[in-house]
Amino acid sequence: MNRRFEKRLLFVWLALSAITLAQLALGSLGERGSLTPNAWVTSSAIVIALIKVRVIIREFMEVRHAPVLLCRLTDLWVVLTGVSLLGFYFVGRFA
Amino acid sequence: MTTLASAEPYERAATGRKADGVRFVPGQPDMWVLVLFESLVFTTYFTVYVFRRTQSPDLFLQSQAHLNLRVGVFNTLVLLVSSWSVARCVQTAREGSFRTALNNAYLTMLFGFLFLVSKVLEWVTEIEQGFSFTTDEFFSFYYFLTAIHFLHLLIGFVFLGVAVYQIKSPARRSQELVETCATYWHTIDFLWVLIFALLYVMR
Repeated sequence: MNRRFEKRLLFVWLALSAITLAQLALGSLGERGSLTPNAWVTSSAIVIALIKVRVIIREFMEVRHAPVLLCRLTDLWVVLTGVSLLGFYFVGRFA
Repeated sequence: MTTLASAEPYERAATGRKADGVRFVPGQPDMWVLVLFESLVFTTYFTVYVFRRTQSPDLFLQSQAHLNLRVGVFNTLVLLVSSWSVARCVQTAREGSFRTALNNAYLTMLFGFLFLVSKVLEWVTEIEQGFSFTTDEFFSFYYFLTAIHFLHLLIGFVFLGVAVYQIKSPARRSQELVETCATYWHTIDFLWVLIFALLYVMR
């Protein structure tokens, strides 16, 4: 395989795996047996997950080379999901 | 339909674009319609889950504490490896290295299977501890989201089978179909990334 592409795919996979391990630390904050609501942990978990999703779409699914319409549609879905999840979380919790 | 046998321009592999510089849709456009539709459906599931969670935060957190976060991380890493290998499968098929592409497709299947086994073992463990679909609202969402994702993964194996079938014979090789199958597999991966964050990490 083209070495440049091979390196890029490897780098992307390593970055995604490292972020996943960081989520392990994030999810382990505090005692597992007595979890408490935490808006920061929740917001971080959702934002980090959406960043990972966008990286998968752009790099593994090759959308970075796709027509602009597909790039915009996939970005729109990521933003819509983020706004929806965070919006309903904060509205539901603090309203 | 683009055939691999016709030796696609190498520029597309090297730059991700066709030789004439025109951007391309990876796989068949119909698959992207399905991917966007499925993604919107899952967004709806996730939003309902998050909202219901805010209505009974203590119940959801108490139940969430019974999940094994490390198993969730392991499952995520396994699917990320499978996504990486299917991306390599697409690239190597594009370059005409069909033996390597086939090996990567098999590797994807192997890690997909590992995920299935791990998920079933996790379900068995939860059920043995007394946490079933009807235990409470958190576990209803947990089993619903993981089961529907599981179903999509099983369908993903059909797509991987199609990719292997395409790559195996020079007479029927289609780069577009291989890309289409990979697109579906990646979708399963990124949906799990969100499920993992919502079920295992969020508070």
